Amino acid sequence: MPASAAITLTSSLKRPLGSDALAISSARTPDPKPQNAITIAVSSRVLFNMDKEQQIYEQKGMEDYLKYQIEHEMEPFAPGPAFPFVKALEAVNTRLRELYPESEELFDVVLMTNSHAHAGLRLINTINHHQLFIERFCMTGGNSPIGYLKAYHTNLYLSADPMKVREALEEGIAAATMFNPPEKRTEVSETQLRVAFDGDAVLFSDESERIFKAHGLDKFFEHEKTHENTLLDHGPLKGFLESLGKLQKKFYAKDQRLDCPIRTYLVTARSAASSGTRALKTLRSWGLETDEALFLAGAPKGPMLEKIRPHIFFDDQMFHVEGATQLGTVAAHVPYGVAQKLPQQKPAKENTKDFSAATK
Amino acid sequence: MDSMVRNPDVKQRDAAQAVVVAVSSDAIFDPEVEQVHGATEPLRKGDAFSFMKAIQVVNERLLTMNSDETLLFDVILLSNDSEEKHSRIIASAKHYGLDIGRFCFCNKEDSIESLQSNNVKLFLSTDTNDVCKALQKGVPAALLYRPTDPHHQTEDQLKVVFSGDVIGSSEEMLHGLREQGFTETQLQGFKTAKGSVKEFAVLMGEMRRRFGLEGSPLCTGLMTVWSSRNVCASALKTLRGWGLLVDEAFCLAGAPRSPILNLVQPHILCLDGLYHMEGFTGMS
Repeated sequence: MPASAAITLTSSLKRPLGSDALAISSARTPDPKPQNAITIAVSSRVLFNMDKEQQIYEQKGMEDYLKYQIEHEMEPFAPGPAFPFVKALEAVNTRLRELYPESEELFDVVLMTNSHAHAGLRLINTINHHQLFIERFCMTGGNSPIGYLKAYHTNLYLSADPMKVREALEEGIAAATMFNPPEKRTEVSETQLRVAFDGDAVLFSDESERIFKAHGLDKFFEHEKTHENTLLDHGPLKGFLESLGKLQKKFYAKDQRLDCPIRTYLVTARSAASSGTRALKTLRSWGLETDEALFLAGAPKGPMLEKIRPHIFFDDQMFHVEGATQLGTVAAHVPYGVAQKLPQQKPAKENTKDFSAATK
Repeated sequence: MDSMVRNPDVKQRDAAQAVVVAVSSDAIFDPEVEQVHGATEPLRKGDAFSFMKAIQVVNERLLTMNSDETLLFDVILLSNDSEEKHSRIIASAKHYGLDIGRFCFCNKEDSIESLQSNNVKLFLSTDTNDVCKALQKGVPAALLYRPTDPHHQTEDQLKVVFSGDVIGSSEEMLHGLREQGFTETQLQGFKTAKGSVKEFAVLMGEMRRRFGLEGSPLCTGLMTVWSSRNVCASALKTLRGWGLLVDEAFCLAGAPRSPILNLVQPHILCLDGLYHMEGFTGMS
């Protein structure tokens, strides 16, 4: 922290209490305000590797966990699965600021943690150590973060806790569970953000998966052919793809299509020959596109993702998430739709929140 | 001159050891637009009602753990009302079973003096101007947060939130505000406010430590409105140095504060001079 820190006031300063009005021009770029920005809320456990601490919490409880955190306050955490993704978001922000210095349409990363605040200093020290640009955080002291997600107009929530992710989805917030990848990690770009999406139950609703699950593959193909020209409904991550597209267009507008620091991919088990058509038509009618669409016709996604090297891959099926993870891709699980197996005894309450009243 | 009336229904606290808190009667009971002569029914509940109930929960828990506990909240109701309303106020407090130790009836002009002479550790009001005036006169004061939905505010747990932009700023940073046009009076005001917040924070810290991490009837919070994460971190450290362990912390960095406050729903919000400013890009 520089000793002579700049304190700046924008020219729209209103009268502070009991004093004369001041009008001083701003010297610093304004931080993104929630409404205009694309807000990504990350939990501390996915931004950083807190395995050891998590273990202490689970085995010994809250007191020991917090004591440990305070004792190791000056030791920064190692990066977690969401770290490269967040770094890439910052790279995009840097490019956006160069082209549009006054704009607030940027990525805004908010750190969420369940931690009691007095042990949260270690997190802030870690942010400083890794030179991350995260200015906002919520330390909820044990309370649920869901309300705060809504208060910050969160566009995407990433967490290690599947229960919280489900809760967020139920509130209409795009969310996914992240896991620590094994030792092998595919190297990803530091200058271009790459996001890969599964189609059904992620970008689209789980309608087709229901058919497949209930009636099998043949019926699925038949259904897709018959409904080729019928749009699929929205899925939980459609809004996030839309936000990425909005930013991409800002680069295109400045002649930077070839050098765009955002690249999106559709990686679906659908096949190009048949069921893929409906997916593409749906995207097109939404005014959306992905830079690449990969129709695997049921083949495993892992090898393809290894080639693509996305910073994050969203899929609703753990089978695919695990497959991707094993080959070094950071994959996030979207627990939405009929493919979910819930741990409870009672019949699974399917999370099929209607995303067609699209969230921002 | 004031008239101090002890509440016979409430066991008197040891004022030297207690956390003496003065609350404006307009906050506890809804100030009526029309004063009906000779009306005797209890006054309507005001914005500070759930605060009063929450304070009671804290006191009860403290006494359960230690019947000889002296670090308790000791509430003085401060009233500028006309004499004919006095007995009605006392009766209403009895009716609702409020833990009010003393009633202080005085003129508006004498309020500050009454606060100063009664060892009040904190003066609470829902009126920001009253809070700021008290702070300027060196009386520790804080805002009673008016919830958007009074029924939503919890009565089971007392929530105290400290505003951290000034607490977390170094002397040099505050000094630098002068170059930005803040007056000497304002800067002095910040320093005074920081000083009085400290005393209250120390008491809250002591009280908070009587309880465990989970299930505490007292919940402490920190919010920085304008500043960067490092100022917020500095505020956390400062509070820790004063003995206050913070449960919840929010670094807004310019994000709108009402949505967050509506969720946190503090009862007490300890302001600093920068809290209310608009358009301030903050310190880093």
